[in-house]
Amino acid sequence: MSILESVELALKNIVSSKTRTLLTMLGIIIGVAAVIVIVGLGNGLEGYVAGSFSDMGTNTLTVTVMSRGSTRSLSVDEMYEIVAENSQYLDLCSPTVNMMGYVKIGSETLSSTSSMGVSEDYFGISGDTVAKGRGLQYSDIANRSKVCVIGAFLDQAYFGGNAVGETLRVGGTSLTIVGVLAQSGERLEEGGADDCLYLPYSTASRISGEISSYVVTMRDEDHIDESVDALERALYAVFASDSYYTVTSMAEMLETMTSMINILVGVLAGIAAISLVVGGIGIMNIMLVSVTERTREIGIRKSLGAKERCIMQQFVIEAACTSALGGITGILIGRGLSVLASRVVTRLMGETLTVSPTAAAVGMAFGISVGIGILFGYLPAKNAHVR
Amino acid sequence: MKALIEFQQVCKYYYMGDDTVVAADHISFQVFKGEFVAIVGQSGSGKSTCMNIIGCLDVPSEGTYLLDGRDVGQMDKDELAEIRNELLGFIFQQYNLLPKLNLLENVEVPLMYAGVPKRERRERAKIALEMVGLGDKIKHKPNELSGGQQQRVSIARALVGEPAVILADEPTGALDSRTGREVLGILQELHAAGHTVVLITHDNSIAVQAQRIIRLEDGHVLYDGPSDAPEAVVTPRAAGMGGVPS
Repeated sequence: MSILESVELALKNIVSSKTRTLLTMLGIIIGVAAVIVIVGLGNGLEGYVAGSFSDMGTNTLTVTVMSRGSTRSLSVDEMYEIVAENSQYLDLCSPTVNMMGYVKIGSETLSSTSSMGVSEDYFGISGDTVAKGRGLQYSDIANRSKVCVIGAFLDQAYFGGNAVGETLRVGGTSLTIVGVLAQSGERLEEGGADDCLYLPYSTASRISGEISSYVVTMRDEDHIDESVDALERALYAVFASDSYYTVTSMAEMLETMTSMINILVGVLAGIAAISLVVGGIGIMNIMLVSVTERTREIGIRKSLGAKERCIMQQFVIEAACTSALGGITGILIGRGLSVLASRVVTRLMGETLTVSPTAAAVGMAFGISVGIGILFGYLPAKNAHVR
Repeated sequence: MKALIEFQQVCKYYYMGDDTVVAADHISFQVFKGEFVAIVGQSGSGKSTCMNIIGCLDVPSEGTYLLDGRDVGQMDKDELAEIRNELLGFIFQQYNLLPKLNLLENVEVPLMYAGVPKRERRERAKIALEMVGLGDKIKHKPNELSGGQQQRVSIARALVGEPAVILADEPTGALDSRTGREVLGILQELHAAGHTVVLITHDNSIAVQAQRIIRLEDGHVLYDGPSDAPEAVVTPRAAGMGGVPS
């Protein structure tokens, strides 16, 4: 009796007891679907995090300094000097000043807009392009000009696309809008990537106080460690202590985040995998019952010349077919749920998060479910040929 | 002439706890090709044991059983399965059809285990079903048929592999007398066509349909001869056999 005939026979048996088969498969279906959705969510989350980090550029380093009283501090010029001295590793530099005050346009207060003081090089670092008007210039910084560049969302939502030349207020200071950035997020929305405002860091520090952090780009992403070392050495020379500054690389942060997400996904997928095992036990249970109630059939088949391994093959293949069918159903349901989850998350969070299970995860879930079927089918099948 | 079935001093013991039950006690007989033999006896006479051994479902504890010259006692389980498939066609009292398969598929089963290709299997199963007069019902399930029809399917199944021996275990036991006669008629036709038929029954009136009777009691052969001899159907008690007081 060939394998193909065994498969045919198994499918016939499965079809002839649909309810039982469905119940048997349920564990596998749920397990496979859960693994796929969880891995897919993890991938989506990872992609989302990676995406938002790469907006910033994975070739950037963030330097945060705390001034050490009046005796030692780091001026913006000193920071520029450090970057210039280490130009074999470092490229562009911009101070960043996070603005505490809210942005006001007319009488309306915008609480979700992120506003930041930056240098003229900042858009080169962040990869933003100016769509209308002009960007920030060195003269703006030198003169502490009361100007700003805004994101496409503010332009569209508050100025009807004609923001250049208008004014708004940040922390009580009136600023003239000189430019509008090109749209960078997928949609224009409140709190999104395009709900932002940039002003010269010199102007910002006058409103908000001290300049305490910088973004620096590296020339080569492969030399993260050397770049960080160079910066830290120079900063140590200024502060004579390593407790007044931190240098963080975006790539490292991304790596940390990614590995955290991976651990989380691993744990969740492990929990989902338990249901696969439970599903397998369900199959074993049903195959045991099936062997018992088919003793007669086994006897008849044997009297007609079935060898023991034919009988065993039949039962193992039946179990494998059941779990494979369950696996396929689980994959389909998992994919369906992934699409659904993408939509729900996108709607709830207002962020685009694509839940996409990897082919490897799908393959593994399927492989495990069939493996479980064969394993848990084998034990009762051994039982079958003893009868 | 070489015997098809040869029992040489066959014994079969069953162990039940400390007790040993002797189910077959030095039984010897031969069945030749083309014979129609009935093995008859009351329950406990050893006829079921004989049937199991002839059918290669069991092996003798002692003695030798040669089927077509091959020593069955020396075979392992796989070889037994093979020889059953190759040389024996079974007809059971309860028909023993597989309820989920249709008639054609049921008749195909022995051929499937013999490794006959699907197309040829279909053909041969169809022919066998036509032979027993069920060629128009090949897609039916067994439970859609009467008992007599089901038994005819099981005869078709027994025949399809062209076995050397057709082994019928109480084939009329579950049938009314009319359909029972019908089934016996088919067996006689098979015999007339040259098949070797071994019929196992407790019923004298059925046993006499055979050409030769082997009567068993308490694991011994009591009578072995033509079915038309007067001793063949005489009950042991009436004949005074074993009547010696112990």
